[in-house]
Amino acid sequence: MKILIVEDEPSLNKSIADYLGKQQYLCEASSNFADALDKIECYEYDCIVLDIGLPDGNGLQLLQTLKANHKMDGVIIISARNELDDKIKGMELGADDYLTKPFHLPELSVRIAAIIRRKNQQGSNKLSFNEILIDVLAKQVYVHQKNLILTRKEFDLLLYFMVNKNRVLSKNAIASHLWGDDMDMVGNYDFIYTHIKNLRKKLMVAGTPDYLQSVYGMGYKFSGI
Amino acid sequence: MKLFSRYNRINIGASILVFLAGCLAFYFVLHYVLLRQLDKTLQSEQSEIVQYIKEHNQLPEIVNTSDQKTAFTKTNAPFQETQFATQMVWEEKEQENIWLRVLSFHVAVAGQHYKVTVTKSQEETEYLIQVIVLIAIGMIGVIIIVGLIINRIVLKKLWQPFYNTIHLITQYKLASHQSLVLPDSTIDEFALLNKSLANMAGKIEQEYATLKAFTSNAAHEMQTPLAVIASRAETLMQDDAVLQNHHASIATIEQSVNKLSRLNQSLLLLAKIENHFFELTETILWDELIKQKIEEVAELNSSNQIKTTIDVVPVAAVFNLHLADIIITNLFNNAIRYNVAGGAIDIALTANYLVIGNTSSLPALDIQKIGSRFYRHPQTTQPGNGLGLSIVQQVCAIAGYKLQYSYIDSMHCFKVCFE
Repeated sequence: MKILIVEDEPSLNKSIADYLGKQQYLCEASSNFADALDKIECYEYDCIVLDIGLPDGNGLQLLQTLKANHKMDGVIIISARNELDDKIKGMELGADDYLTKPFHLPELSVRIAAIIRRKNQQGSNKLSFNEILIDVLAKQVYVHQKNLILTRKEFDLLLYFMVNKNRVLSKNAIASHLWGDDMDMVGNYDFIYTHIKNLRKKLMVAGTPDYLQSVYGMGYKFSGI
Repeated sequence: MKLFSRYNRINIGASILVFLAGCLAFYFVLHYVLLRQLDKTLQSEQSEIVQYIKEHNQLPEIVNTSDQKTAFTKTNAPFQETQFATQMVWEEKEQENIWLRVLSFHVAVAGQHYKVTVTKSQEETEYLIQVIVLIAIGMIGVIIIVGLIINRIVLKKLWQPFYNTIHLITQYKLASHQSLVLPDSTIDEFALLNKSLANMAGKIEQEYATLKAFTSNAAHEMQTPLAVIASRAETLMQDDAVLQNHHASIATIEQSVNKLSRLNQSLLLLAKIENHFFELTETILWDELIKQKIEEVAELNSSNQIKTTIDVVPVAAVFNLHLADIIITNLFNNAIRYNVAGGAIDIALTANYLVIGNTSSLPALDIQKIGSRFYRHPQTTQPGNGLGLSIVQQVCAIAGYKLQYSYIDSMHCFKVCFE
């Protein structure tokens, strides 16, 4: 899976590349418009992480070029501007998603995964981890080939954990993934705990090991021990 | 004091003084001229008498009229030059003092010296002067009064452009994005005033826009460094050794970035609302939005054992979906965040208002400070940036709604009145 990260802030570019690089993605970094244009025209990417505000051009122009060349690359825009107009414009030009800075890296990762799943429609709507299998399209979870009934929030949570497996996920990131940025509930994470507790219980009853570890003072980690 | 009453005061004072001096001068000049006239008549009388004596060498016969009297008296006094005099005499007939003009001269008839006195009443002259002066004073009075009235009317009309300008300036609002348009005036001073004011307003608008742009750019520029910090914190989290020793620091960094980012977003949102970025043309259903929100927060509430009471009727309004969502989200967030475990939230929606009331550990809030930015009750322990209600109030302000707060039966009630 190849991903192009177009972001002019080198530090952020590197963080994204590092994070995604550890998830079996092949990341290429580009820090300006001209370089990004070259890369887009020469190669095919599964997903492009695109910053709109570049020093030598507008990211939206890159989108237009992509569309003009009939490229199928998935695009997620990351922008400092939380303007509805920018969002609508980006979507109209063919972007698949829009994320406002600052964002949580696991959130970016889960959105990229969703874009890639949508792009490759040949039966890869399934995600598996050991004995757990998620059919994303049908919103079904199977453990040992047996259907596991989860609530919507628990399903979202499991998907989020599986995409970001082996990663420490802060409660903050989990909360904003499940409830969005509008629910400003900083400091009150009891409700996350309830969902995680329920999910863990259901998984273990279905016969999985305890994949969900709590990381002291920070959050949770989904890993195969 | 109005400019033109002050002007009038000076103007009228000066006019009265000038006119008084004029009247006096007029009186004296007239007096002098008429006296000369009288003297000339007396002199012609004298020359007639002298002529008569020269021709006939005897005194003329005297015909006295009520107006003019002539008298001859023998005299031995030395020859005397012609003299004019004014005398006051008691008039028996009229029972009053009257002024007489007396001309006296000497003639010699057949060796005998006579003193001739020709007397003419000055009464008529005086009367004439009086009438003329009275008319003059009357005219002056009329002129002053008419002038005053004309000034009043004309000045009011002349100053109208000034009052128009003042009215436009008081109506002018910097934040409303309507530039100050002042009418043209044919009067140079008003044209200058309007031009200067328009220039000034233009400059202020420009500065205001620059400042707004700066604020918004600054907030935007902050988002990227914040993203860097957030992503680095998340990268650090993945390192077991670092996490072991520094989990508290990393968690704090993450939370602070989160807080700062929210603060930034809120400030940007406030700026956008103030700039009338949102158009109020969408038809929204308040009841649907509220039900949707209640569903979203249902599990939050149940995890805190908060009891929600809902009493809504269908209400449609022409508003903005995003803004409506902002009002509801902020009021719900507050109702949940500052609530207590086992507390309650009451929601009521009618065609006229929306009320969200909640229990809280906080006492009644300061009504004066509701909606002021960064105001938080001193006993507040829950996190928050103190901008939520300012945002709600700002939205209400541009929609023409009213945000009211009351504290009844230990319930904090926030009421949005739609009218």
